[in-house]
Amino acid sequence: MSEKEQEKDNVASVEEDEKKQEDTENKDEDAGMEDDNLDYEKIKMLPGSSEDGTIAAFQIIDEDHTLGNALRYMIMKNPEVEFCGYSIPHPSENKMNIRIQTYGEQTAVDALHKGLDDLSKLCSFIEDTFMEKVNAKDYTTEEP
Amino acid sequence: MSSREGFVPPSATNLGNAASGIQSVKNYGCKYICAQCAATFTLSPKEPVRCKECGHRVLYKARTKRMVQFEAR
Amino acid sequence: MPKLGSNIIGIESDRVTNTHSNDFPAYSKDIGEAWDLEAFKKKFQLNISYITERTANFDLIGLDTSIANAFRRIMISEVPSVAIEFVYMFNNTSVIQDEVLAHRLGLVPLKVDPDLLSWVDPNAEEKEKFTDENTIVLSLNVSCTRNPNAVKGDNRPENLYKNSNVYAKDLKFEPQGRQVETFKDHPVVPCDPNILLAKLRPGQEISLRAHCVLGIGADHAKFSPVATASYRLLPLIDIKEPITGKDALEFQDCFPSGVIGINDKGEAYVKDARKDTVSREVLRHEKFNGKVKLGRIRDHFIFNVESTGAMLPEEIFFKSVRVLKNKADYLRNCPIGNVE
Repeated sequence: MSEKEQEKDNVASVEEDEKKQEDTENKDEDAGMEDDNLDYEKIKMLPGSSEDGTIAAFQIIDEDHTLGNALRYMIMKNPEVEFCGYSIPHPSENKMNIRIQTYGEQTAVDALHKGLDDLSKLCSFIEDTFMEKVNAKDYTTEEP
Repeated sequence: MSSREGFVPPSATNLGNAASGIQSVKNYGCKYICAQCAATFTLSPKEPVRCKECGHRVLYKARTKRMVQFEAR
Repeated sequence: MPKLGSNIIGIESDRVTNTHSNDFPAYSKDIGEAWDLEAFKKKFQLNISYITERTANFDLIGLDTSIANAFRRIMISEVPSVAIEFVYMFNNTSVIQDEVLAHRLGLVPLKVDPDLLSWVDPNAEEKEKFTDENTIVLSLNVSCTRNPNAVKGDNRPENLYKNSNVYAKDLKFEPQGRQVETFKDHPVVPCDPNILLAKLRPGQEISLRAHCVLGIGADHAKFSPVATASYRLLPLIDIKEPITGKDALEFQDCFPSGVIGINDKGEAYVKDARKDTVSREVLRHEKFNGKVKLGRIRDHFIFNVESTGAMLPEEIFFKSVRVLKNKADYLRNCPIGNVE
């Protein structure tokens, strides 16, 4: 992919993100102007990030290797990302740390969000494909 | 609520009962099941430990009738 | 058939090679491509081998281990199902202790569609916690008696006594409130009716009620909807030099039956690598040294999902994909605070 295309792609995804945010805001308003139902405890930025936001580590509550490794893979597939790694600091604490370093064109938060969006779209596609294959019924229903 | 089973702490009502000579806990006997013939009967504290039907000397104490809650874990 | 290359894990007699994914842009310019959903759609394949009532076998091809492993982990520990959680004993004079019986009851798989129940709110008041929307009530009332019509000379307990064995099928569903309607067509029963729960002798009795709720396998194994959910990588057998005659027969014997075939010319060929167990037996024979290479294809996952019976196996996989998607979507919408 050429650089220009890449840039276009990023812009597109940013626009999409904004749209999504608007959507969720609207939903909250519809819910009746009460306290937002957002989960402020789920993800936090750990100390030690760079000032320009290109290096950051996050702590996510109630997640493990299931999301950790899958998300790490999706983030590492981003060419703007120099490094991404995750760890579970202690097995009896339900916390997962993920660290992202970018080359500088994208912030770590953007890279994280792009990773999550990519993962979500990947799941949607696998879901659709699986549904299609199951409904096609061209498999045996007996164990060989 | 008392934690000791069977012990009834004196309260206004049963103190009154004691004063008027009414026994609030009449039956001191305990329910037993014979290990031999499965007969159920009660024994009071001073009675010999024997089945009233067959005379067998091995007895089980009847299980509490209270419901007990368990976690299936 | 693919030859040994980048997406093939090498299997040698004493080691495995090329085990890690390296398809990242930061790793190498040649093989590391940026994430591209359209490219993935072209590359990805899903083939279903068979789906029975209890098991499903299918291949996912062209995705990374981290994603496939996430599905496997979610199927085992995060797809919700229903199991007995609370047991209220009224009477149990059997030889099996109350807490052991309660534990055994918890592990009985129940045929309940988990979508028909809602989650129990752990913060609700004790009185309002369990409703007809989130709890299923089962009861077990059995007492053992002597069989008056017992056949003489037959000393088996089943003949001498009635109800000498307590089975999972003795659990009776007691619909509460609206459950009379919602569970009319599919009453709650154990998936396997003949699970032995306890043994009784005349005069012994079990009387209890059990409350069943939704849960996930991460909390307790009884909530796991699968007996096993696993994947293996497709084996690859690469014959480098022709193996013929007597050697071919010996070569064939190094693999499970059906893996290696012998053609008209007496030459060994790979008939079905999928059946191979990758035992590496062939690598112990000096004469095949250099003539064969073993491997596994790193992005070809053969999934095997065995349901406990509450859900269809394909439904369990489908839900695991949903769960992963929901995880990503939920985290995407969470505001990022700072650790104090």
